[in-house]
Amino acid sequence: MPIHEKELIRPEDLRTHEQLTVDGVDVSGHWSTFIRSRVVTDYNEAMQEEVAALPGGEFIHRCWQCGSCTNACTVNAVNPDFNPRFWIYLVRMGMEAELLRDKDIVWQCVSCNKCTHICPRDVNPEGVMKAISHWLELKGHTPKSPAMVFDEVFSDQVIRRGKIEDGRTIRRFFARTGQALQQDWLIEMAKRLVRHLPIGLLARLGFSAAIAPRTRDWSRARAAIEEYVQAEHAAQRSALGLDAPDSPATTREGA
Amino acid sequence: MNDSILIVGGGPAGLAAAHALARVGRHSVLIDKAERLGGAPILSGYAKLVPSGEWAKDAIGGMVERVRGDSLVEVHTGATVRSFDGSPGDFTAQLSDGATVRAGAAILATGFTHFDSLNKPEWGFGTFPDVVTTTQVEQMISSGRGVRCPSDGRKPQRVAILLCVGSRDRQIGREWCSKICCTVSANLAMEIREELPDCHVYIYYMDIRTFGLYETKYYWRSQEEFKIKYIKARIAEVTSDGTKLIVKGEDTLVKRPVTIPFDLVVHAIGMDPNLDNKTIASTFGVELEPHGYLARRNTYGNMAETTRAGVFVAGAATGPETIDDSIGQGHAAALSALGSLGAAKATA
Ligand SMILES: Cc1cc2nc3c(=O)[nH]c(=O)nc-3n(C[C@H](O)[C@H](O)[C@H](O)COP(=O)(O)OP(=O)(O)OC[C@H]3O[C@@H](n4cnc5c(N)ncnc54)[C@H](O)[C@@H]3O)c2cc1C
Ligand code: SF4
Ligand code: SF4
Ligand code: SF4
Repeated sequence: MPIHEKELIRPEDLRTHEQLTVDGVDVSGHWSTFIRSRVVTDYNEAMQEEVAALPGGEFIHRCWQCGSCTNACTVNAVNPDFNPRFWIYLVRMGMEAELLRDKDIVWQCVSCNKCTHICPRDVNPEGVMKAISHWLELKGHTPKSPAMVFDEVFSDQVIRRGKIEDGRTIRRFFARTGQALQQDWLIEMAKRLVRHLPIGLLARLGFSAAIAPRTRDWSRARAAIEEYVQAEHAAQRSALGLDAPDSPATTREGA
Repeated sequence: MNDSILIVGGGPAGLAAAHALARVGRHSVLIDKAERLGGAPILSGYAKLVPSGEWAKDAIGGMVERVRGDSLVEVHTGATVRSFDGSPGDFTAQLSDGATVRAGAAILATGFTHFDSLNKPEWGFGTFPDVVTTTQVEQMISSGRGVRCPSDGRKPQRVAILLCVGSRDRQIGREWCSKICCTVSANLAMEIREELPDCHVYIYYMDIRTFGLYETKYYWRSQEEFKIKYIKARIAEVTSDGTKLIVKGEDTLVKRPVTIPFDLVVHAIGMDPNLDNKTIASTFGVELEPHGYLARRNTYGNMAETTRAGVFVAGAATGPETIDDSIGQGHAAALSALGSLGAAKATA
């Protein structure tokens, strides 16, 4: 195949022989440099189905590559390598190795849903971005993204108590992502809350933080939700050909 | 003055014209060079038609029976027109079977010729047995044998359909879009997945032209319900590694060369001008348009006129057409022919 653009030449595909003679002609060193063809044979045809099995990924197969999502995308405006249209294609065609080159930026989607509102085929690209990040994590290609950790901490609270307590959510999130609790912006926010919130509301915030009350009669609801979540996780892992689900106990802290 | 109408070609367009004329009590002579009536859908054994989903042998076969059973239609199969002389209201045609036909007007419904894939040798047709055409896949389905690799009869696990084979290609002097092959390919892809649910079907395209309402029923449905994969690439060559076909091209959306193994490669062949068109043009004294189809005199005035008064044209003889449009044009040509007889009578 002809090389269309220089940027497509990847250093790992360059080959040079220190000593090489071809038909009696010495082409040692850079004279023998050639570019290995970039033909990819390791298509993972299961990839589209796998991503479709994760929440948000259901409609990935509808995409016809118009590029509206990428054009509309908030993150793409800042980082041109963030390209939902392209990743959707890679997943659909099973170009796993190619997708892995971008694995560390997929999670940066800010869920603004501009793409979702512009997509002519109802692909729900925002959901697909989530599903792809999730897929990368489950397959062990990326560590849990901060966004995913936050989701987990958040839903963990809801599941355990039927309520959210913001202070606890933030503390756990920081602890699990290894961030210091003393962050300038957070301190500033707390100060302003104290300064501007009505006393009654402050008192209730303080009470929740100290006591962490549960919704009444929550335990049956909690059991049902936990059972559902576990079943969903098991189904997702098996769709991806992974064995035993990671039990919620290992990823969640005690209440 | 002769009131009968000569119809050349017994495909969907010619059959529609003959039936329309019979319904208003007019006699016609329908001739076809093939031994059977029905045109491409019958002669080439198409399977389920776009967009009705009816089997060709039922839908078009029904049109044939209707005409066959009508005493107002005189049928000559295995015959062509040797000569055609006279003027509107009074033509005389000599047929190859020795018969002489007198008619007041003529309708040319001589259709198209399937593109011969041997003219694109880089895509492997004629070299590798598992490279076939859409017509062959239609036959595999309509015969009930199912979609199989001709080389050893196995069920294909991976099928590539290459669009625009013999269309939109200046290298081989064919600039036109054959109009129906995108839709036909999406239809066949769905039929393949229906029969062989584990088979992956890829369609290699430059543009997808499932025009009008076909968008939902064929393009969207094939993607959304049947998970057909569309890849924007014009394939460079089809080779073989001894066991599988190897398809090479550039996936233009990721700027990357692709080399993919397939079991079966299908050419979505186009609709060439009928190979007889030059002969037809000189026999009937009508002109061809620049691509080689029969020229129409005007677009909006009287439908179906050729450049010769009293001679009309309908269907794929005028350019790539669908069956339903060919039928519509057959009706239009019948009405225009009737009108021309009325005009000829008035001046006689
Ligand atoms: C693979 C494939 C699949 C298709 N599937 C569909 C589909 O699903 N739906 C759809 O709408 N369209 C489909 N089409 C298009 C369809 O084939 C045409 O629209 C239709 O056949 C046109 O009808 P016609 O009567 O104009 O011409 P034809 O069907 O070509 O009929 C012409 C007739 O004229 C006769 N003839 C030719 N030359 C002479 C001569 N010199 N003297 C006497 N007789 C002559 C021929 O023997 C033939 O019987 C398909 C096309 C292809 C290639
Ligand atoms: S939701 Fe994500 S992918 Fe969609 S536009 Fe916003 S940042 Fe981009
Ligand atoms: S806007 Fe929708 S259809 Fe278009 S490329 Fe993005 S996901 Fe695909
Ligand atoms: S209908 Fe589609 S496959 Fe056929 S020539 Fe046109 S673009 Fe190509």
